[in-house]
Amino acid sequence: MTLLEVKNLRKSFRITDSLGRTSGQLVAVDNFSITLKQGETLGLVGESGCGKSTTGKLILKLLQPDAGQIFFNGDELTHLSPKQMRPYRRRMQMIFQDPFSSLNPRMTIGTILSEPLLIHRLAPPRQVRDRVIELLEKVGLTAEHEQRYPHEFSGGQRQRIGIARALAVEPQLIIADEPVSALDLSVQAQILNLLQGVQKEHDLSYLFIAHDLAVIEHVSDRIAVMYLGKIVELTSATELYKKPCHPYTEALLNAVPVPDPNHPRPTALAGEIPSPINPPSGCYFHPRCPYADDQCKQQEPQLLKISDEHQVACHHSEQVGRFLLQKV
Amino acid sequence: MPPRLVVKNLQSYFFTRTGLIKAVDDVSFTVDQGETLALVGESGCGKSMTALSLLRLLPEPGRIVGGEITLDGRDLLHLPDVEMRRIRGNDISMIFQEPMTSLNPVLRIGEQIAEVLRLHQGDTKQQALEQAAELLTQVGISDPGRRLRNYPHQLSGGQRQRIMIAIALACDPKLLIADEPTTALDVTIQAQIMDLLLELKQQRQMATLLISHDLGVVAGNADKLAVMYAGQIVEAGTVKRIFGNPLHPYTQGLLQCIPRLGQQQTLPTIPGQLPDLREQLEGCLFLDRCSGPCAPCGHQLPKLEENEPDHWVRCWRY
Repeated sequence: MTLLEVKNLRKSFRITDSLGRTSGQLVAVDNFSITLKQGETLGLVGESGCGKSTTGKLILKLLQPDAGQIFFNGDELTHLSPKQMRPYRRRMQMIFQDPFSSLNPRMTIGTILSEPLLIHRLAPPRQVRDRVIELLEKVGLTAEHEQRYPHEFSGGQRQRIGIARALAVEPQLIIADEPVSALDLSVQAQILNLLQGVQKEHDLSYLFIAHDLAVIEHVSDRIAVMYLGKIVELTSATELYKKPCHPYTEALLNAVPVPDPNHPRPTALAGEIPSPINPPSGCYFHPRCPYADDQCKQQEPQLLKISDEHQVACHHSEQVGRFLLQKV
Repeated sequence: MPPRLVVKNLQSYFFTRTGLIKAVDDVSFTVDQGETLALVGESGCGKSMTALSLLRLLPEPGRIVGGEITLDGRDLLHLPDVEMRRIRGNDISMIFQEPMTSLNPVLRIGEQIAEVLRLHQGDTKQQALEQAAELLTQVGISDPGRRLRNYPHQLSGGQRQRIMIAIALACDPKLLIADEPTTALDVTIQAQIMDLLLELKQQRQMATLLISHDLGVVAGNADKLAVMYAGQIVEAGTVKRIFGNPLHPYTQGLLQCIPRLGQQQTLPTIPGQLPDLREQLEGCLFLDRCSGPCAPCGHQLPKLEENEPDHWVRCWRY
């Protein structure tokens, strides 16, 4: 069953000079379409500034899109007012990157977790405490943590609290924006396992936003690769890894450092991410692309289906793979 | 030839109001000319404090309480402050994680590079600026003349890190300390910066101390590594030995819990978390999280001992 459908989403921001006059436009997300089934994880990967976090906020309607449509369980959310959005908010939750700034430092963990239960009337006041303890135990904490404040917890524990808070309202969709990138390696694995565990238990759908391709590949069923606000490739996690069809995906795969000294060193992609205020002509990736030719400079490639499960926006997708590092 | 940098039994303690923290506890290693040693570990393991100890720049209330540090035979711990100041930036340079906060936002790039050259090498302003332009070319920045007049905010993260590298290399240091040099950068830029560091190291035969939590970066860029846990080195050796045959349960756990491309099964984890270093701990510091503790672990700290050539481990199992 399709839980979330996003069609042709677009969001731009006005660039103003020091006097407040509009001096340009930054298109953060453009022509963004995805579907997400119940129980599925869609990974959204790309480098800083590619619009992946903006996309997450647009879907939750924390930002209003310029164009496009958002459907949740078949209901269109695009033009709902904040008040009309409220019943849907419960169904879509967010987990943030920084577990230090996303918890109120003046509230105990018990208060943080009981607030959503009371606001959405999910438990009678007398049972709230039992429910809070149940949530804490679900994420690997204990009842004694209830009276403590956020600063008494480590980064990993705070991320657990963030997950418990998201789970409190029994959501169907969780948007996780870089949930493990601030965490240490051993803690990262614990949190990834926890996220996958609660997903199975509650049949949750995840939109998993991250810059780390290895993490994304580990948790996702399907992956969308973004570059300068657009999806350049969308396919299953295994296919993306085995047979990338966009040169940017190939470059990202090649840049991931592999913890094995016998593996070839990552190959660096030339150049830097262009400014989204003044993007290159034609295909946005052409100045850094080893496959680029004149067509790429002039004509923007459309995101096309090359098989049932595989979409790619590249004029030369059939050639891609030539530069892919051989895995040991 | 003797190693360029020798650190022997270094102990840096923090005398906090709530108790004594042994941030760096009996740490020993050497780095040769042209060699890269990686210090690996999770936050709070003491890797950055080890680096700051080398520069004698430990923040309060930290103090170096024991050990030896020698650079090319010169004892750094007993140098007068004036002499030490000449060493910093001249013989030992450091690159930090966050290139935005380590550059001065109100000074032009040119002035920031030239400052180092004028201070340490007595160049005139004109000489310094010319050399700064030359350095920018070496770190792969195009149009150096224009870039010298830019302010840090006009540059991207990757370019700022290149500037930091240019500043660090300005005086041709004998030892470069790179503290998480690519953690704040995107992966494609990370690969560029690591390539640049490798190239410069080979040209200049610098000794490099690479501090990183990313075992992928370490595998591709270091010759030797030392794994730190709770202020101590628990395993040390060549990259090939440790990645090929990790001995310490902590190293084994770290290597297993990395998500790897093409593998989707559940990740093994290391249970528990770092011990509170304020408590006086007895025995092996990894005991609570260890998968197979044995008899002496509870009351006696194992020594870092050579298990096979170029491979040391601090564990009672071996």
